[in-house]
Amino acid sequence: MRRGPRFVLSAVLLAACARSPSKHETVLTFSGSALGAEGTLVAKQLKRFMQLNPGIRVELQRTPDDASQRHQLYVQWLNARVGNPSILQLDVVWTPEFAAAGWVLPLDRYGPAKSEFFAATITANTWAGKLYALPWFADVGLLYRRTDLVPREPRTLEELVSEAQSAMSRRAGPRYGIVSQGARYEGLITGFVEYLGAFGGRIIDDRGEVVVNRPEAVRALEFMRDELYRWRVAPLDVLTWHEEEARFAFQNGNAAFMRNWPYPVAAMSDTAQSKVAGKFAVSPMPASGTAPAGHSTATLGGAQLAINAYTEFPEAAYRLIAYLTAPEQMLERARAVGQYPTRLALYGDGLLSGAIGIPPENARRAIESATPRPVTPIYTELSEILQIELHRALVRQAEPREALDAAAAKINALIERTGMRKLMAGTSKA
Amino acid sequence: MRKTSRLGSEARLGWGLVAPALGVIALIAIFPLGWTFWESLHLHELRMPWLGKPFVGLANYVEIARDPRFWAALGHTAFFTVVSISLELLLGLFLALAMNRVFRGRGFVRAAVLVPWAIPTVVAALLWRFIFESQGGILNALLVDVGILNQPMVWFIEASTAWVPVILADVWKTTPFVALLLLAGLQNIDLSLYEAAAVDGANAWWQLRHITLPLLKPAILVTLIFRTLDGFRVFDLIYVLTGGGPGTSTEPVALYTFNALLQNLRFGYGSALSVVIFAITFGLALFYVKGLGVRLGEDET
Repeated sequence: MRRGPRFVLSAVLLAACARSPSKHETVLTFSGSALGAEGTLVAKQLKRFMQLNPGIRVELQRTPDDASQRHQLYVQWLNARVGNPSILQLDVVWTPEFAAAGWVLPLDRYGPAKSEFFAATITANTWAGKLYALPWFADVGLLYRRTDLVPREPRTLEELVSEAQSAMSRRAGPRYGIVSQGARYEGLITGFVEYLGAFGGRIIDDRGEVVVNRPEAVRALEFMRDELYRWRVAPLDVLTWHEEEARFAFQNGNAAFMRNWPYPVAAMSDTAQSKVAGKFAVSPMPASGTAPAGHSTATLGGAQLAINAYTEFPEAAYRLIAYLTAPEQMLERARAVGQYPTRLALYGDGLLSGAIGIPPENARRAIESATPRPVTPIYTELSEILQIELHRALVRQAEPREALDAAAAKINALIERTGMRKLMAGTSKA
Repeated sequence: MRKTSRLGSEARLGWGLVAPALGVIALIAIFPLGWTFWESLHLHELRMPWLGKPFVGLANYVEIARDPRFWAALGHTAFFTVVSISLELLLGLFLALAMNRVFRGRGFVRAAVLVPWAIPTVVAALLWRFIFESQGGILNALLVDVGILNQPMVWFIEASTAWVPVILADVWKTTPFVALLLLAGLQNIDLSLYEAAAVDGANAWWQLRHITLPLLKPAILVTLIFRTLDGFRVFDLIYVLTGGGPGTSTEPVALYTFNALLQNLRFGYGSALSVVIFAITFGLALFYVKGLGVRLGEDET
């Protein structure tokens, strides 16, 4: 207790020293997690970068791991025009928002090699014709299946349902056919985007028109509802589930199929905690066999790196981004924490074998069929509207058509209210 | 003359003495309120700087008036408040009457009853969520074992059943508080009144209706005022238990406001919603104090 004041004072002095770099030094701040294997990896790569670039010092600024908390912090800082962190770690759906707000700098003048990355990861980071962030690692929606129950990958959604039914009806078969994320949150949209693509529908088309209530989309939502109530291959419980509940069900051997991200692979391959180790495989979600325009679709997630528009050192910041997204660092990241590289070339030549827990070929196929969620600055509010309306349809408070009509009307009102049309017209001329 | 001037100087001294307190109140209560009101007259979307921050007058309030989600949320809030408070008052009165009797271990019971009230709301909400969980929830296991249900029920996907855990959790948590407030009221009632009534041959029911309840009225009204205001601001309990779902069927106004203000970062519209909630709770408090004659602060009976 008696040491208290002196300790506080010296801590303050130390902090003051740490925060006042000499004038000529280039100091970057990198936003990220300092926890666990991820923290160790980032620290290691930043240290190497500093050795290669003696004039630049990089500090790690801890930001929350929870995406929506990090988003809220960034928005507050950027409204106050704070230049730190100089490199922002963005969720895939934030780039257009930050770009339209002028909070991140376009990267085109540094000449990034766009063609080396998966096309969808570049599309997701492009706003009004300019690239605003480089994809750091990719997350992608996967269909997990129990290979002991379903040896062959289902080629269509209809086959998926019938395989699920026959797996459930086996003696000592699993309780559930298909488990997924159906609670009213972002996860519901990621699942919907995959069914939507499977039927050839979209939320917003290339001309910026809201098409989420077109017949293809209605059929996709009807299909999701029928899985719950008509074919009963998905338990009603999924309407309250997030990623983890779905993983528990699948990992405990209670489901034939699961829609989830790549992260459960590690835990589910561990025989100590998983009943399905060595008995599962992944593939992209299949297309519907009844929709000619339908295609196999996986929702794209993952992290991007962008330059804070208020930083003093944009050039140095880009050098760090280029370093972290270079092939060597991506490979190292895949091997250390299992995150998927965003560079196409890394999936060949056995570079990734054993690193990500599944055959690299399967991961590549999934990322190649990856679709970004609508690339628009108003994504978060658009998503909230859809979450509510989709959930209403899936809990049978509304018919799918009715719910999607309501969603379309609200999204159009949102576009009006936020001046999006004017903004898009203005930017495309510029 | 001398008298008034002395009074005047005393009054000045009085004002001088309370000035710091008034300053603090202005700083922490009136200033933020004024600021929020000023915000509410602007279009201010934190994540859309291209819109600027134009003054829009009452446009945000007009949007609220036309927003079906707001009116639904207001309905949910009123429903939650009325149902949970009615149950809490009834059970709380019962508990208070029981605790007011002289019996061995009364002190222990009075302390034990407060345990639910002492648990943080978020923790209590999580507990109730586990109880009502569809897979591995205690309640479902119990209902299936007893034979009331054939298979586990998913409580949170229908509006009517999603309200059950919400209201139960609130009643469980807040009844002790209500009981304690009422118990304090009961202890103010002069016991000789009951003795006199008993001498006159009045039975227990008559005593309850004609002595206990009328004399308990101030305590009941104070309880009501507290609980109504709490009920109208309900947030954490529902945020954890249902998140406002299914769809938006259990969303209260406070959750909707949180969403507009802190999720969507619509500062103008969110501020307008906050002002509306403030106006409603303030109006309710005023109604209780003026309309029903609740006396706060001064002793009565």
